[in-house]
Amino acid sequence: MKIRNLFNWMFVLAVGFSAVSCSDDDDPQIDEQVPNDGLPAHRMFILNEGSFNLNNAGISFFAPDNSDVAAIPDIFYQQNGVRLGDTGQDILAYDGNTYVSVYGSNYIAKLSAACVEESRISFAGDADFNGGIRYLAAEDGYIYASFHGSMIAKINAKTFKVEAKLRTNGSNLEGVAIEGDNLYVANSYSQVDGNYVYHNEVFVIDLATFQVKETLNVVTNPNDLVEADDKVFLISHDYSRESYVLQLIDPAAGNSVKELGYATKMAAGDGILYLVDSRTDWSTWVTVNTFSSYDIKSGRLNSTSFLKNAPAELANASIYTMAVDDESGDIYIGVTHYSDSNGDMYRFKKDGTFVEKFDCGGQNPKAAVFFD
Amino acid sequence: MENRIHISVLLFAASALLPLAGWCRPELPDSVTTGTEQRVDEVTVTAKRSPVRVSAGTPVQSLSGQAIAELGIQNVADAVRRFAGTNVRDYGGIGGLKTVSVRNMGAAHTGVSYDGAPVSNCQAGQVDIGRFSLDNVSMLSLAVGQEENLLQPARLYASAAVLNIVTNTPTFDAGRSSAFDVQLKGGSFGYVSPMLRWWHRVGSRVRTSLDGSFMRADGNYPFTLVNGKHVSRERRSNSAIDSWHGEANVYYDMPGGGDMQVKGYYYYSKRGLPGAVTLYNPISTETLWDRNGFVQVKYNKELTPKWQFQALGKYNYGWNRDRELGNQFAGGVYQAEHTQHEYYLSATAEYRPVAGLSVALAQDWIVNKLNSTMGECPFPTRYTSLTALSARWRRGWLTVNGTLVGTYITERVKAGNPPEDVKRLSPGASVSVQPWKGEMLFFRGVYKSTFRTPTFNDLYYDRLGNRSLRPERANEYDLGVTWSRSFCPAMDYFSITVDGYFNDVNDKIVAFPTTYAWKMANFGKVHVKGLDFTLATAFSLPRGINLSLSAAYTWQKAIDLTDPDSKNYKAQLPYTPEHSGNMAVTVKTPWCTLGYSLVGVGKRYFIAQNIPVNEIDGYVEQTLTLGHEFRLRGCRLGLRGELINLADKQYDVIKYYPMPGRSWRVVANVKF
Repeated sequence: MKIRNLFNWMFVLAVGFSAVSCSDDDDPQIDEQVPNDGLPAHRMFILNEGSFNLNNAGISFFAPDNSDVAAIPDIFYQQNGVRLGDTGQDILAYDGNTYVSVYGSNYIAKLSAACVEESRISFAGDADFNGGIRYLAAEDGYIYASFHGSMIAKINAKTFKVEAKLRTNGSNLEGVAIEGDNLYVANSYSQVDGNYVYHNEVFVIDLATFQVKETLNVVTNPNDLVEADDKVFLISHDYSRESYVLQLIDPAAGNSVKELGYATKMAAGDGILYLVDSRTDWSTWVTVNTFSSYDIKSGRLNSTSFLKNAPAELANASIYTMAVDDESGDIYIGVTHYSDSNGDMYRFKKDGTFVEKFDCGGQNPKAAVFFD
Repeated sequence: MENRIHISVLLFAASALLPLAGWCRPELPDSVTTGTEQRVDEVTVTAKRSPVRVSAGTPVQSLSGQAIAELGIQNVADAVRRFAGTNVRDYGGIGGLKTVSVRNMGAAHTGVSYDGAPVSNCQAGQVDIGRFSLDNVSMLSLAVGQEENLLQPARLYASAAVLNIVTNTPTFDAGRSSAFDVQLKGGSFGYVSPMLRWWHRVGSRVRTSLDGSFMRADGNYPFTLVNGKHVSRERRSNSAIDSWHGEANVYYDMPGGGDMQVKGYYYYSKRGLPGAVTLYNPISTETLWDRNGFVQVKYNKELTPKWQFQALGKYNYGWNRDRELGNQFAGGVYQAEHTQHEYYLSATAEYRPVAGLSVALAQDWIVNKLNSTMGECPFPTRYTSLTALSARWRRGWLTVNGTLVGTYITERVKAGNPPEDVKRLSPGASVSVQPWKGEMLFFRGVYKSTFRTPTFNDLYYDRLGNRSLRPERANEYDLGVTWSRSFCPAMDYFSITVDGYFNDVNDKIVAFPTTYAWKMANFGKVHVKGLDFTLATAFSLPRGINLSLSAAYTWQKAIDLTDPDSKNYKAQLPYTPEHSGNMAVTVKTPWCTLGYSLVGVGKRYFIAQNIPVNEIDGYVEQTLTLGHEFRLRGCRLGLRGELINLADKQYDVIKYYPMPGRSWRVVANVKF
């Protein structure tokens, strides 16, 4: 204990004034805005989900090619002077812009490639969309967003207006992916009188008519959807199975669904689907991560880890996201420390060689996008 | 100094001295228990006003009902945060959840007793102290470690700290058998609260009391929202509350000694839960209904000069319904109901074989049941047996206390396997030394080992619960000095207490974030070291003016030692200020009573990682009151105005749960 502090406090008690800092402004000082050309062309944005009810979602900036360019822990805050909001959900790089969905705050924002906000659509209080925005996909000048509460929005990327709404017969919709002329949407679960009821459907929506044209039966509680090399990959969070279930939806084969194995996170790049299967031993509270990969063209699962000299702690870390930089092929693995502290990002070369580890600048790294 | 104090005044308002003392041990004169004011011929008492009870072997702090009123204290949580070493979590507003953690051991380690009977919440583990009305409180006290009173239920022995809420008991003017108190409170944000109390005497041995109060408030107070460069003035929404509180008591002074109290209590509330302020999304649709009722019977009897006996029986019913609207719920609505039943029996016998030695044995039996509409609820029933053996030896300058609590818990469930039985012995000891006779200087040391049992939520909550949990263990150590004396004739007393402490919490029950699924786990380890300092003094000045002043300061370092590789290793726990304190001044004159108090809390972190972006600013909240009691024929009319948060300080106790700015309250009551 510092004696000076003690005296400060005695002073507070004696005269009723605060001798400690009691600023009205909770937020730290905002640094000067960074112009688009002030950032290197090859850039990475990490969406940090933050913690529920703490409005601490953010977007951090990282320059993959230039270690002399300092990372910016929350470039959204720096560029816009306000916080991103509560619970960052998804981030998308499309046609030179960044799009971000924020679940708790329930809005979607269109940002520049330097994260300056250009426009936003708020769904707070909207009778159709009040369940909360979830995941994003883009095609042909439109952004598609899934919502809890059965809705999908079709948003014109230029005007940034909702042009169409689709009410599915699902419930809480999660992951989305676009392949060909179809939008794939995971129908995850319902909450009925406080109880969770899990579904086993993926809706196939015709982008031209914006109508559900097919419903696929998949493993219970479908969540994450990724498109790569004309294929759609799905992870279902089936709590009755030994781990989450990886499936392949093959549009070329009439949207046939095939189980590939177990995985809890995935990311695609250059014909490879990178996978991790994280399992926790509830008796020891130790999580073990098993890394593997799937060659999309050959359809072969390679159970050998795609990482070569990963730091030892990654074997037991809580992996929250994986992303692949299309430009370099580098693989990024985001680790969460949940509500305790900022997450960490581990970077590997395409061949699996460890490059670096850095602080994500926020909690729960949820997703990452790249510009080049 | 020789104070001339009229005996009848002393007896009529027994608690009047206690608020002046500020942090004194609650101990009322035995004669008050008869409930009758005893008028005797005027005598001169050649003794000083009693100073603070500095002789307590464990830290005990208290506030009387009168001090609570004079200082404009708003609710039980507001009172408790004025005790050194407490950490009150207040989610804002009149209806917001309020829990108390003592010396950072966690709210579940703090026991709450209401008129001597423990209050529990087996489902959540922590008691919402915000729902208790202050209108009927005669004394609030907080004991850390083990109180010296041996005649109490075993459950209170088993807690690391106990918050005692003692309600008013009927007293009557001479020649009267009834007394009434009618009160109306009104204030900012649509706050209105009428209260009616009726005390009645039936014969010479039975007194009854009936209390009823209603409270409603819109709670839609304005607050300043700072979001980077955007600073806006907002209002809390969905924060209205309606609540009813009723209480009936029968006090029976039994022939041949002994007394019995039968209490019935009922509380109902419907309140909007505004939740955290969410940036860009002000929609809040959650509503909570609460019903709580209990009946308790307490019996005390001094069987012989060496034997004393206490028995307690209680049935408690708790029910709540949580409802939220939104498309994310099937049918657009989420609703869950939980019902708890508790059956409680306690018996304690105290034996004083020789002068200076007391031994007590307390035995409690408790049955707790939970019904819930939530998925996977196994409808658990918990059977608990608590046995507390305690002893006190007092010889001249030395007082030694020892306790040993044995716990046996077994559970039955309707689905799945029950958790393992809990069988534990928890020792405790305290020593108080008075080195110099005649000098009110005491040194004390306390050790207590306690644990908190996993709650029903910890064990069975859908997907999150873990039936393999072990109890969370806590060891508390305290070394303290207390001193009291008077330095001048006008000074009634001057007393200070200083306690240094160390708490060691192991197997902390936390929500453990394994990959993609959270589970409750015994994972945390916390060390808490701190210093509590209290000061109280009072002066009797000419012209009937009394001045009292009290202050408390806490320094606390509570660090997380769970994982040496984590970014928050050895970091200060969230919502734990290193510095906090408060002070209160009361000036009583024949014309009015003026109260001023402030509570100051230093900067804290709202997330475990101690980095600047996770800081919350400190704050100082000040309250000013002005009141007077008029006597009109046989009536006493009290009027009091309160200005709360005088400086209109905008602050959060919990991040994004803003507290009200400046507000006012007017209280009028008539007693006849």
